[in-house]
Amino acid sequence: MAEGSSIWERLGFRRASGVGEAGWGHAVIAGLISFVYFLPVLIIIITSFKLQTEALAVPPKFLPTSFFGLIPDAYVFTPTLENYTSVFSRSMITGAAAENTGFDRYFFNSIVIASVSVLLALAIGTLAAYGFSRYPLKGNDTYLFVILTTRMLPAIVVIIPVILMFRAAGLSGSYVGIILLYTAFNLPFTIWMMKSFFDELSPDVEDAARLDGSSEAAVFFKVCLPQVVAGLAATFVFGLILTWNEFLFALLLTGVDTRTVPVGMNQAVAGGGIGVLWGLLAAIETLFLIPVFLVTFFLQNHLLRGVTFGTVKR
Amino acid sequence: MNSIAAQRPIPALMAPAPDNWKLAAIAGVAVSAVAIAALPAAASFWITGAMVAMVAASFVVNAYRRHYFGGLLVSPAIAVLFVMNIFPLLWSLGLSFFAYQSNQQTIRFIGLGNYQKLLTDNLKAPELWANLTNTAMFVVLTVIAQMVTGFLLALLFAKQFPLRKYLLILVLTPMMLSVVAVGVFFSYYYDPTFGILSYVIKAMTGGEQFILMSNKTGAVAGIVFADAWMWSPFVMLLVLAGLVSVPKYLYEAAAIDRVSAWRKFLTITFPYIRGLLMLALLFRTIEAFKMADLVILLTKGGNGTMTISYHVIRIANEQNKTSEGAALSYLLLFVVIVLTNLYLYLANRRAKGS
Amino acid sequence: MSTIEVKKITKKFGDFVAVRDADLTVAAGEVVCLLGPSGCGKTTTLRMIAGLERATAGDIVIAGRRMNELPPEKRDIAMVFQFYALYPALTVGQNIAMPLHYEKLAKTDADKRVRKVAEILHLTDVLDRMPGQVSEGEKQRVAVARAIVRDPNCFLFDEPLSRLDVELRHSMRGQIKEVLSGLSKATVIVTHDQLEALTMADRIAIMRDGLIEQVGTPHEVFARPANVFVASFIGTPQMNLIEAELTGFADGKAEVVLAGNAVALRTDPAVGRLAAGKVTVGIRPRAFATTPAASHDTIPAQAELIEPMGAETLIHARTAAGGDIRVVVPRGQRVKIGEALHLRPDPRQTHVFDGAGKAVRA
Repeated sequence: MAEGSSIWERLGFRRASGVGEAGWGHAVIAGLISFVYFLPVLIIIITSFKLQTEALAVPPKFLPTSFFGLIPDAYVFTPTLENYTSVFSRSMITGAAAENTGFDRYFFNSIVIASVSVLLALAIGTLAAYGFSRYPLKGNDTYLFVILTTRMLPAIVVIIPVILMFRAAGLSGSYVGIILLYTAFNLPFTIWMMKSFFDELSPDVEDAARLDGSSEAAVFFKVCLPQVVAGLAATFVFGLILTWNEFLFALLLTGVDTRTVPVGMNQAVAGGGIGVLWGLLAAIETLFLIPVFLVTFFLQNHLLRGVTFGTVKR
Repeated sequence: MNSIAAQRPIPALMAPAPDNWKLAAIAGVAVSAVAIAALPAAASFWITGAMVAMVAASFVVNAYRRHYFGGLLVSPAIAVLFVMNIFPLLWSLGLSFFAYQSNQQTIRFIGLGNYQKLLTDNLKAPELWANLTNTAMFVVLTVIAQMVTGFLLALLFAKQFPLRKYLLILVLTPMMLSVVAVGVFFSYYYDPTFGILSYVIKAMTGGEQFILMSNKTGAVAGIVFADAWMWSPFVMLLVLAGLVSVPKYLYEAAAIDRVSAWRKFLTITFPYIRGLLMLALLFRTIEAFKMADLVILLTKGGNGTMTISYHVIRIANEQNKTSEGAALSYLLLFVVIVLTNLYLYLANRRAKGS
Repeated sequence: MSTIEVKKITKKFGDFVAVRDADLTVAAGEVVCLLGPSGCGKTTTLRMIAGLERATAGDIVIAGRRMNELPPEKRDIAMVFQFYALYPALTVGQNIAMPLHYEKLAKTDADKRVRKVAEILHLTDVLDRMPGQVSEGEKQRVAVARAIVRDPNCFLFDEPLSRLDVELRHSMRGQIKEVLSGLSKATVIVTHDQLEALTMADRIAIMRDGLIEQVGTPHEVFARPANVFVASFIGTPQMNLIEAELTGFADGKAEVVLAGNAVALRTDPAVGRLAAGKVTVGIRPRAFATTPAASHDTIPAQAELIEPMGAETLIHARTAAGGDIRVVVPRGQRVKIGEALHLRPDPRQTHVFDGAGKAVRA
């Protein structure tokens, strides 16, 4: 820093050298706001380490440690991992032996069903988006609009015929059924988003590749796809977030073996008749949050470039 | 593209060729009809499915041989959407003209009876109207709250600063939570006895327990707050994408030209985020129209918080009035489509205007 | 007074030094070009003057005021950006009017000013169009119009013509020069095109690797390059820079072993004070006379490649030692490939650079 910059400037409250850059001062403000915004999530995470009595304590116990006596004991709880073990195994009736809750299975199901259906939707939807973008049909916009419209109805409308259909086909409670349904659930969004990306690509490069003798498949895979990686990543994240947490379809269409975590969570809320087990529920949600959080974090850089939907001309 | 291949002759109607989709379609319809008439549902479903697959395959071969790449690329998506989305939608549209309850075996055609009942019945019409106005209220409140919060958050993150990446993911987290957890935990936060909200208000006013959900204002505020908290990050993400796409040199030029902050926002920044703001508005409006889960979890529709979507779920699922629920959904769809078209019309007019 | 003084300015990006101790003074009404290859720090220097980058060290004084800490808004400068930076959502007219809002003029006065500059730059017909709907040349003129619509302390141009085609560039050079000459402001133009610099500038500052190598009038930097880099950078075809061994100096002639031949060249008397050793001899391609016979002051070479350039012919000649010498001869002079040439350098255009690459001059 040049001489003459004040303390204030050194803290980051400066008109930084470039436009659109800010220093630590901005980071502190943003940190505070982010913390407040994150607080409800943080409380869930904290609650996952509390026993039921501590979760219901008044005043609320915020901290796992008293920081060497700085914090009054009334606000301090003793962290425990009991909730996390009882996610997977606990006694269902007071006094009975601990039994498997099936949550290991639910987590497995959630991972398989969400990832397969989102990837499938991405594969099919990207092809379709490329088709819509490169080989415009008459009334293209109408088709796209109809496709989008299918997402506007309350899920319950689609679900009754789907239940009847699945029952007739023997697909209720199967992986195939729910995966296909989620694929269809993700498709409109995927097509729409990916089309906006293909629309933005310059056709010159593709034509050059064609002149060099590339097949149509090579043009798509080698020329176009690498240019829309950000779009693929963003679409994947959005699809994953929506599918991962989907509840209603899963509730009505999965069976004992294919049940996903949100359904299991709902049962954990409702079951037992002794009120909500806050710590247990918090532990489930915390565990359930981790995979999608990590995926979002690692694809974050693509996310921002990916959500412009072609509305911003570059 | 290859014009020679495109001129491959189209097979005669009755010639059994893999690309003769017309023959395949005729055969498919015939076989399916026989199967549906003669065989039990479980078997006929698969036979019909196989016939659909056969017709689809002939379409694909036809498209491939004649280089209709567009059709070829779109077909898998259309197939999945048709089976899982469009077909059930048409089914429930058909169902809305029948009197059918999923817990009874009888089914009877009543034409527009369901619609008539919903719109004119002395009991149901006012209820529908009340739920519709409730929904409209939620749409307006949640969407405004989300747009404002999302917008402000985006402004906060538009600049590069230390730790930005890590703080951003914290703000995005609410969107990743399961709505079940959000609903349940907000009822925990709002709980009069051990909830944090009640505790804070008690500490500030020194008064009694605070019961947020005791009246309509409180209940609506509670739901709107939870929903806005959960989905503002989505709006933020869209606005942020617009903000970061503004070329830096425009702000530099504005600095040189001594443009005021407000004018800078209006003439440089806003044009870049306008499209995305409209899109966020559209997405969130549609989602807000469908809002049911948070209402179910927080108030069970009490205190004047019943929404139309929850109403549909109640009728169709809890009361088993399947066809009436379908009719109601189509009324809802009608409203949503009108709104969407209005949006598209406005967006197009703006695009042409500038 | 509209002046710019840059004193010992340095810019570091982390460990990378983009600009090192640059000194530059621009008087009122003077046009100075910052010229150099890409990445030499010329744009960074300009951006520091504008306030878009902060100087790591040194002072920037504009109109007599030290402005290091001031943001661009407070420096009262006008700048034309390389990619024009037109506001895409505003019409051409609104773009030009943008800097005027600060002055809070009455709308009619602002309109009058916009119309006036639009007339000067032939933009009257496109005032209501969007930037996306006008040609590249018009965009460039809009950017200039936006700069000259107000009365700033100084003008800064960042590669103003780099996106135009050759013809447009030529006509715009003239136009910009004409416009600037009527304004009597200190002006800095960044360019990598020496023709642009030579035609538009009153003085040229040549930069390399963050250092200003020489500042001088177009004539000075061409006729008296301060070092090997400037000599090689200015002038087309490039000056011949021939490694040589200085062996002695007598009768105003430097005795050098050059491309394997001992020759005596008439040079600047200052060369006489130079110790014997390695030097670089710089001779412009147009400064050779071809003679029929070898002589003590000619360099023998063989024509290897002949490029007709219209009015002149460029000959690549190979010396006995294998070096390449570029020679430009009038079109009328016929040279065949393989022909032996005896090249006599013009003593007034023969430059000697010492072992460190600095020009040796009195």
